[in-house]
Amino acid sequence: MTGPSFDIELDAITLAAAKRGDVAACERIYRRFQKPAFNVAVRICQCRETAQEVVQEAFITAFSKLRQFRGDAPFWGWMKRVVVNHAISHIRRQPQAPHVEYEDFLGGADGEQEAIGRAMDLESALATLSDEDRAVVWLYDVEGYRHEEIADLFGKTESFSKTRLSRARARLRALIEDREARNLAGASA
Amino acid sequence: MNMRNEDKGEPTGADARRDPLGLSALPELEPGFDGWAAVRAGLESRRRGRRQQAMGWMALAATVVLALGLSLRDPVETPTPAAATPGPELASDGQAGDDTLRALITLSQTVESQVRRLREHGGSMSAESSLYVAEIEDLVARVDAELSLQPGSVDLWGQRVNLLLDLEGLYRLEAQRDYHRLASL
Repeated sequence: MTGPSFDIELDAITLAAAKRGDVAACERIYRRFQKPAFNVAVRICQCRETAQEVVQEAFITAFSKLRQFRGDAPFWGWMKRVVVNHAISHIRRQPQAPHVEYEDFLGGADGEQEAIGRAMDLESALATLSDEDRAVVWLYDVEGYRHEEIADLFGKTESFSKTRLSRARARLRALIEDREARNLAGASA
Repeated sequence: MNMRNEDKGEPTGADARRDPLGLSALPELEPGFDGWAAVRAGLESRRRGRRQQAMGWMALAATVVLALGLSLRDPVETPTPAAATPGPELASDGQAGDDTLRALITLSQTVESQVRRLREHGGSMSAESSLYVAEIEDLVARVDAELSLQPGSVDLWGQRVNLLLDLEGLYRLEAQRDYHRLASL
C-alpha cells in the first residue's frame, strides 16, 4: 500500500535532451514523474483538481528552468522540491479546498478491507487538519523533509514546523482513537 | 492503526523518528488525468513569451546603440564580464536570441566605456548621488557574478545594460550640475 516514490533515476541522455528543449524528452520525464508528483500534491492540497493544477504548473516551471538544474543532486529531489513549492504556495493562497474522495482506494480484494478501513480512518483524520498542519506532517513524516527545510518553504522559523508537527500528530492520534472507539462500540452493539 | 505505543510520546531532536502514525502506508492515488497536453501548451506559451521579450530587448538595444552612437567617437573597449560570448544554453532560443545577446553585449560594452569616460572627466559628486552610484555598482557586480554562471542569459545582460544606463544617467546629471555650478560663478 505504500505510495509511489519520487526516487526515480533519470538517465543523463533524457535529461540533457530535455535541457535542450526536446519535447519528447520532456514528455518522458512527465510520464515518469506524474504519479508521484500528483500524490505529493494531493496529500498537501487535499483536492484532486487543485493537485492536477499544481502538477501541471510544477512541470511547466521545471521544464522552463531545467537549465538551472546543475546535476549535483538527483533530479528527482529537485523535481519533488518544485512540486512541493507549488503545492505550498497554492495552499497559502487558497481557502480550504474540497477533500479527496475515498473511492480512490476502494476496490481491493476482500482480505484488504481491514487495511482499507484503517487507511480511510487515517485519510479522514488527515482531511480534518488545517492545510498547513497537514502539509507539515506529510512533508516531515512521509517525504523526509527536515524542520529547517519546512520552515524555509513556509517562510517561518523551525519552531513553527515543530509546533505544527506536534499538533498535527496529536490531532491525528485523537481522531483515530476516537474513530476506533466508535467502531468498536458499533461492532459490540 | 499503524500507531505504535512507543511512539505516542513526541520524538525530539534532529533525527526524531519519522511517521509514527504510518502515513507513508496510505495507498497511492491514481492521477486519473493526462496533463501532458496542458503542460506542453504551457511550455510553448512561455517560450513564445520569452521570444517576444527577447525581441523587446533587441529593440531596446538597437534604440540605445543608435542614441549612444551619436555621442560617441571612440572605439568600443573590451567587455567587463569574462564570459562575453554566447553560451551553449542559448542555442535552443535560436537565432533571434543569439542576435539579441550579441546586441546586448555590445551595448553593455558601449555604455560601460561611456560611464568610464564620464567618471574620469567628472567633477565632484553629491553624497546622495555617490550613494546611488555605489548601490548600482554593487548591483552590477551581482549581475556579473550571475553572468559568470550563465554567460548566455539574455535577461542578465538586459539587467546589466539597464543598470549601466542608470549609472550613465547619474553621471550625466552630475556633469550637468557641475556645468551649471561653474557657469553661475
